[in-house]
Amino acid sequence: MAIQKTKKYKRKQYTFLDLMVFLFPMLIFLIILYGTLFWTIYVSFSDWKTITPNYQLVGFKWYKFITAQPRFWVDVQNNLKWLILGVFPTVILAIFLAYLLELSPFPAVESYVRTLILYPVAMSFIVTGTIWSWMYEPNRGVFNTLLRQIGINSQLRFTTDPETATYWLILIFIWQYLGFAVIITQSSFRTSELQEMIEAATVDGAGKLRILFSIVLPNIRSGLMVLVSLLLISTLKVFDIVYIVTFGGPGIQTDVLALNMWITTFQQRLFSAGAGLGVIIFLMAFILIIPYTVYALRKWFE
Amino acid sequence: MKKLSILMLVVMLAGALLTACQPAPATPEKIVETVIVEKPGETIIQVVTPTPEPKQKKLEIFHWWTAPGEREAADAMFAAFKAKYPDIEIVENPVPGGGGVSHRVVLQSRIIAGIPPDTFQTLGGAELKNYVDSGALQPLDDLWAELDYAKVIPGPLAKAVTVDGHPYVVPLNMHIQNILYYNLKLFNELGLSAPTKFDELLAACEAIKAAKPDMVCLGLGSKEKWGDAFVFDSLLLEEGGPEYYVKLFKGEVDVANDPVFRAALEKFQKLIPYINTDHAGLTWDQSVALVGSEKAAMVIMGTWAIGAFVKGSNWQPGVDFGAVTFPQVPERILLFHPDCYGLATNAPDPEETLNWLRVVASPELQIPTDVTQGGLFARTDIAPTEFPDPIRQELQTYVSQNPGKLILDQHGSILPATAQPIYWDIISAFLAQPDIEKAITETANMMTTYGVKEASAWYQWP
Repeated sequence: MAIQKTKKYKRKQYTFLDLMVFLFPMLIFLIILYGTLFWTIYVSFSDWKTITPNYQLVGFKWYKFITAQPRFWVDVQNNLKWLILGVFPTVILAIFLAYLLELSPFPAVESYVRTLILYPVAMSFIVTGTIWSWMYEPNRGVFNTLLRQIGINSQLRFTTDPETATYWLILIFIWQYLGFAVIITQSSFRTSELQEMIEAATVDGAGKLRILFSIVLPNIRSGLMVLVSLLLISTLKVFDIVYIVTFGGPGIQTDVLALNMWITTFQQRLFSAGAGLGVIIFLMAFILIIPYTVYALRKWFE
Repeated sequence: MKKLSILMLVVMLAGALLTACQPAPATPEKIVETVIVEKPGETIIQVVTPTPEPKQKKLEIFHWWTAPGEREAADAMFAAFKAKYPDIEIVENPVPGGGGVSHRVVLQSRIIAGIPPDTFQTLGGAELKNYVDSGALQPLDDLWAELDYAKVIPGPLAKAVTVDGHPYVVPLNMHIQNILYYNLKLFNELGLSAPTKFDELLAACEAIKAAKPDMVCLGLGSKEKWGDAFVFDSLLLEEGGPEYYVKLFKGEVDVANDPVFRAALEKFQKLIPYINTDHAGLTWDQSVALVGSEKAAMVIMGTWAIGAFVKGSNWQPGVDFGAVTFPQVPERILLFHPDCYGLATNAPDPEETLNWLRVVASPELQIPTDVTQGGLFARTDIAPTEFPDPIRQELQTYVSQNPGKLILDQHGSILPATAQPIYWDIISAFLAQPDIEKAITETANMMTTYGVKEASAWYQWP
């Protein structure tokens, strides 16, 4: 005779109050996040252009205005530079650094090095921006002084050179985010399946590089996906570094969408145009995040 | 060392004890006390309402003078007010950051939210007009009449703070923008005299370059974007004269086909080789420090640079550095902008604010504040000898005798706020990559896009 399960799980009746305990924080979150989001979208379609709000709807007037400015297209180009040059070098460097740390035969040293690499993440952009702008100073900065000390008469002008200024700014970003990227990559190495596979490959006689490319990389896709998505969004909304180091200069060479939004809203006081720029940044982030969302949803339903 | 720290501790404890012993300031009570008096046989309910304490007088004020040098000026300002009204408590909301950039962000949010401070710092001209158009300020006709303020300040200053016939703020100083500071010892050594026009400036640069190849001729900091606009302003002023300058920023000049604007750009381009290459990374005080550390020979900056020379580089006016208004042809014009305070609409403490404005208009406040902060006195009846430096003594005398030579500058003043950051960007971009055609087209576009002609029609000069 088969033993029948007699115990039945009774479903507890939840009261309204019970629900509210869990739903209330969620509601606040939704109101603050989506409330302000939709408010910004609404403002971008209204005609608010002095300190006093004017909520009369005027359609796409301010979007037309924004896209008619040559400055906007400079910003878009710069943001694309940030997206490509800020994310991919960081990820590739992070993979190599993380792998090197994994291979390190001295675990004690490894933990120190990891802490060192992680330090920049703990600093705010304002601090790193200020320090780097000192280091970048063409006449008295650390870099040019060091180069002169070893006999190279450096003509590098760093962030004051209109042609290359943006690239020097991106370098600061890479420096700041590298530690963070290394930690995420390294933690995605640490799954038991991956470790077993690496062990098996080592027993089979595979080289270290071979293991990296054929075994590690294909198996840390989900970690990389998260990393790339986070970095993409960080580069898209970059503001602090530009604001502190160059304030968009020389001219408007290093201007980005977020800085343009700030200037439009608070210096020009074209609030609707500023909101419109905010919406454009949001839409770009939204598009960029789609691949990750699709991936995450697929995983969810598997 | 240990003893000292113990002593400190004792002093601090004693201080804490003393403050604890003081009677706590009475908080106004609105509680209605109910006292139930029970008598045998009957219960009488007695309602006792304590008489309300007099309201603590306070004044909430927004200003951007928080940097070293400016902080002392703000303290001098409040000390003058406290001397007259010791019972009014001043609540400051200072926002760190010069030029009033972050200050404006917070202030605008509070005005939009309908909880403005009693009074706030603003420039004159377009900046002021913005607040007036939004209904954030109340007209001060009565106060001006009471103080007879229009009589004691120069006419152009009164016009700069008057919108549609009503004065809206009380100015307390005037910053003069177009001053050329130079290394006096170097100029004496090379036998140069202070340049008064562009050709002389260029000749001086040639001479300096020949004598001191490592020294930059004109120091400049364009990180904040307005430093280079100052230099260009002086070129415009020489090329076109005062009337042209006003017309240009009022949008009445056809920039696209204008020979004067083009000529000024050409002159600016000629000047670029004599400017330090790292200007885009320097702020105004760093550009002044270039002269102070003998890396540059000259700098064009406002009156506020005097303090930076004296305090930052320990240079004395008339000994280590000289100053002239630049240019002096075709006329010696002073470009100025004032710092002002007004009465906010819906100010919680209007009485106290009016008292504050009376003090702002008085010499008792203007003398200590302006001497410290670096501007000229708004009142022309204050003796110029109150200034410690010969530069401002001379400027103040000139202003008193020739008030008509004052012109409101474009720095937050003639150009509307919407156009101004764009104008700065155009000039900064030109400096980084000189392209005369591009600068002209963009300036012409700016004038139409932001309706400069309509927006600054209110400003009248002379």
